[in-house]
Amino acid sequence: MRWAGPAALVVALLVPLVPAGGYQQYVVQVATFVLINAGVALAWDIQARTGQLSLAPAAFFGLGAYAYTIAALRGVPLPVAFLLGPLVAGAVSLGLGVVTLRLQGLYFAIATLAFAEVVKVIFKELPLDLTGGAVGLTAPPLLGGHQTGLYYLGLCVLLLVVAASLAVRHSRLHYAFTAIRQGELTARVLGVRVVRTKLLAFVLSASLTGLVGAYATSRLFFVIPEDTFGIGLSVTALATAIFGGVYTTAGPVLGAIILRSLEEGLRMVLREGYLAVYGVILMLVILYLPGGLVSLWNRRARDAAGGD
Amino acid sequence: MMDLFLQTLANALIQSGTYALASSGLALAVGVLHIVNFAHGEFLMVGAFVAYWLSVLAGIDPIVSLVPAGAVMFAASGVIYQASIRRVLLAPELNALLLTFGIGITLQNLAVLVFGATPRVVHTAYQLTAVTLGPVSVGVAPLITLIVSVALLAGMYAVLYRTGVGKSIRAVAQNRTGAHLVGLDVDRIYLLTFGIASALAAIAGAMVLVRIGASPHMGFGFVLKAFAIIVMAGLGNLTGVLWASLVLATAEAFVRTYVPGGGGAAEAVFFLLIFFTLVWRSWRTA
Amino acid sequence: MLLAATDLSKRFGGVAAVRRLDFHLDPGEILAIIGPNGAGKTTVLNLLSGVFPADEGRIVLDGTDITRLPAEDRCHLGLGRAFQVVQPFPEMTVRDNLMVGALFGARQRSLAEARKRTEEVLALTGLSGRAAMPARDLTLAGEKRVEMARAIATSPRVLLLDEVMAGLLPQEADEMLAVVRAVRETGVAVLFIEHVMRVVRDLADRVVVMDFGEKIAEGSYRDVTGHPKVIEAYLGTEETGGA
Repeated sequence: MRWAGPAALVVALLVPLVPAGGYQQYVVQVATFVLINAGVALAWDIQARTGQLSLAPAAFFGLGAYAYTIAALRGVPLPVAFLLGPLVAGAVSLGLGVVTLRLQGLYFAIATLAFAEVVKVIFKELPLDLTGGAVGLTAPPLLGGHQTGLYYLGLCVLLLVVAASLAVRHSRLHYAFTAIRQGELTARVLGVRVVRTKLLAFVLSASLTGLVGAYATSRLFFVIPEDTFGIGLSVTALATAIFGGVYTTAGPVLGAIILRSLEEGLRMVLREGYLAVYGVILMLVILYLPGGLVSLWNRRARDAAGGD
Repeated sequence: MMDLFLQTLANALIQSGTYALASSGLALAVGVLHIVNFAHGEFLMVGAFVAYWLSVLAGIDPIVSLVPAGAVMFAASGVIYQASIRRVLLAPELNALLLTFGIGITLQNLAVLVFGATPRVVHTAYQLTAVTLGPVSVGVAPLITLIVSVALLAGMYAVLYRTGVGKSIRAVAQNRTGAHLVGLDVDRIYLLTFGIASALAAIAGAMVLVRIGASPHMGFGFVLKAFAIIVMAGLGNLTGVLWASLVLATAEAFVRTYVPGGGGAAEAVFFLLIFFTLVWRSWRTA
Repeated sequence: MLLAATDLSKRFGGVAAVRRLDFHLDPGEILAIIGPNGAGKTTVLNLLSGVFPADEGRIVLDGTDITRLPAEDRCHLGLGRAFQVVQPFPEMTVRDNLMVGALFGARQRSLAEARKRTEEVLALTGLSGRAAMPARDLTLAGEKRVEMARAIATSPRVLLLDEVMAGLLPQEADEMLAVVRAVRETGVAVLFIEHVMRVVRDLADRVVVMDFGEKIAEGSYRDVTGHPKVIEAYLGTEETGGA
């Protein structure tokens, strides 16, 4: 697996250079969507490692997107507006985390879902000149809307999320996250500061999701409450991570490459309803492959090494 | 002034009937199987579409169709239970949540594929008539749905508390292992309970069709509201569901009537209530 | 005194699980708490390690009042705890289970320091051969050992052991005994709950006997086993162990 990361990076760097004739633009566009999905899924996964199932990625994605758009429309320099995305999402998640992270399992999931819906309604109902109401706003593009440039910017954003994921994986946090997930009380008795650690994971994940949200908006050029805060975004995030393999860095990225490509393919055939694929995959993976695609690879590697 | 108040109250009462019906099924599944069924809203949607097509193709009145709608969903949920739900009952609770989430997403989008996303409505004679009681005017259709809801809920309680089957279901809810030890077939009771819960959702769907209409996306709003209700009631508390439905429907109706532009805000009321109930509980017990 | 509990009480519903309990633990000492089933022994350990708060009374660890502190702070101050119902992190390896204790316990360690500590404790507890095994694949004896090793890895000043020998074969229990003695040699005080009387006799410097949440006797093994109240408490109960 050692070579897989660098190899994937090389391929990602080469995507805009592939001679695809008339499809060139389309390929880059799909690749950009893959980067966005991978970013949100991986950011969700980082937080899931503490055993807290958040159904609110859409809320933080949307907050990042709106923060960027509103600031940019008010004349804030675009790079600053861009950074406001993660900052706003992180700040809101800090508040939300303080009040909800004591909730266990199911209750936490439902509370985050309720929160995401409240945020969506609020953005619909805020004064029109601020959020554009149900119609949303047109967002100023970054880099003058240059497609290839934006693709590479997206790659940088994803690499940042990957870096965060790897940093967590190879630090003390990895042990704290895993211990909390597998036994919260035991973790506490062993000295893990559970509430603080969960909060850190939550805020880190939300900030990264907000960053991807700000990026996605600078690429898509609009925000609409029903889409930007839509439950579809949260569904996609967790289905992608679960399909690829939860609690890993490679899993969510791999999941995004496959699922988003599949989705784009289906979109050409179906105008609506392609989300059914995510539903079916979620069901199948939970039932038959709880470790996701990555576990297939790990199983093979383990068998090859003759391990137990 | 008073008239508007009473009218709002009447609307709240009618809405609470549908909510109670939709939430009771969810509460039943949580209480007995200990799973939160995220697909419950889509089961409701399936019920609405069954009634819709029976009305369009066979001219059957949607109120009558609640029987076939319930039956279809009862049977379908049996298949769903055997093929998937029973396999995750012993897994971490979040697996069941994700699985039912997947089922819901699939059903919703299949409905979009097959029927299209456009909302459908049925037309019946009684939808246009209303009964007037003093200052309050209530449509006949909503009134019928309220009566049906009350009757069904009463029936469900009668089954649970007055019959042998109900006794078995309650025994399993309280203590799975104990129930197994005294010779109850726990798996069968799970199957039956999940079937009843799903049928209740489908029947609620037929009611919603009469009053509002059917659309592939209708389920999600209802399942969220049903969550709010069962969380307020305390997970698995069936009696609590009744008053929680009343409280939430009333809050929603009054915001809709008295807050300017309250249509959108009424949606938020639900989620704020669910949110604060949860948070309040967690801090009280901390 | 290293650890002292004064007037400690805990009720569940209307039932008093622990009633006005006083006891102390000296540095380097091994103290056993024994008593019939339901005497409140595990509740005492839960109160000490902060699993739930005491209703009344005070717990002092080396001059610091820890009565109201959360579990993680008590661990940082030097209380290590092994549960009766073993709770290994099932999907982590044995080594990683110990790493958690070594990293976040009484001494905050860097990854490198924690790895070193983990290898030491693995060797001490005889787990080195199973270090790479996922904890869920262990036998009960193995799980009990991980449970204790993980608590030792936190570098506690006081080690709280809840029936770590229960369900073990005599030879396995002897190995655990040797580990506890070795830990004591490093200056750690041990408070343990045990039903196997042979273990209490061989290991404990002092014994506290509880019944119905109260202390009914205290002293050497010989003193308490001859005490009339203790004999009465154990009479008619099946849990006299291998005395």
